Amino acid sequence: MNLAAFQTRILSAKSKLFRFAFRLLDNEEEAKDVVQEVFIKVWNRRERMNEVENWEAWCMRMTKNLSLDRIRSRQRRAVDSIDDHFDVSTAALSPQESTELNESMQRITLFINSLPEKQRQVIHLRDVEGYSYNEICEILELDMNQVKVNLFRARSSVREKLIKINAYGL
Amino acid sequence: MDSRQIESLLEKYWNCDTSLEEEKQLKAFFAAENVPPSLKETAELFSYFQNQRQRPLADGRFDANILKKLKQASPEGNVIKMFSNVAKIAAGVVVLAAATYMVRQEVRKSYPAEVADTYSDPKLALEETKKALMLISKGFGKAQKEASKIELFNEAERRIKGKQDEKKVISNI
Repeated sequence: MNLAAFQTRILSAKSKLFRFAFRLLDNEEEAKDVVQEVFIKVWNRRERMNEVENWEAWCMRMTKNLSLDRIRSRQRRAVDSIDDHFDVSTAALSPQESTELNESMQRITLFINSLPEKQRQVIHLRDVEGYSYNEICEILELDMNQVKVNLFRARSSVREKLIKINAYGL
Repeated sequence: MDSRQIESLLEKYWNCDTSLEEEKQLKAFFAAENVPPSLKETAELFSYFQNQRQRPLADGRFDANILKKLKQASPEGNVIKMFSNVAKIAAGVVVLAAATYMVRQEVRKSYPAEVADTYSDPKLALEETKKALMLISKGFGKAQKEASKIELFNEAERRIKGKQDEKKVISNI
């Protein structure tokens, strides 16, 4: 694969990769770094790209793994306990999100951000990016059952919160 | 699409039974303006998804930066393979040249000293050569002088011999 083919085939998926990395890391700069790292790894293995059936899912899986590595090293560095750190980082809005989004969007962002990690990943891949169940299995390295259970729980949880807001204004 | 169809699709959606195609229909429905108020909160959720989907990696220099990095870090590819082959051959040639040079130096060291040049300036060498030749020629001149004395003896001998012959002839007469 030459540089021009790489640019049209792989580099065009940068926004998808970036959104997924951002969803996991909640930090724009780190998400960009991860995407860059993914592209360099793909480029270094470009001779084997023909063996890959679905290169986009493959890139997404690499994005997930590299992002989780960063989260792990971040947690190791953190002085706070892991649980405290997890709650603070995932349930809050980034400064950019709080200025960009209107009130209802901010509310939903908080709902999604407060979901457990797997559920967040699955709902993002299905409802934002529109991947098939098979692709999600490949990206997250989960079986079909786990993917569907996580998606069901994520959607139900968000729905429940939306109904509560609507009924009681909470 | 009427509201009953939407209701049933939504029910399927919450139960995770919708196909990607059906989810596309729902997205299209909620992207339109005339969503009934009863579905307001679901519309908000779908609008959130759409909003997220449209979020790009907004960095004008990202592509240029990544392409620059890819050009630097290229362990594979034909051009690189060709370069590494050429580099291997070049390294071999350098090693061979270095070995030849060192062997030559060693051989020169072991050569007899008199064979080696003693003068670096050709004019000086010429002067010295002339001096040496003059010395030899002076030696020759001296030898010739001495040799001419021998000629004198020879001449005397020849004359004496001549006179003796004359005497013999006379006595025979």
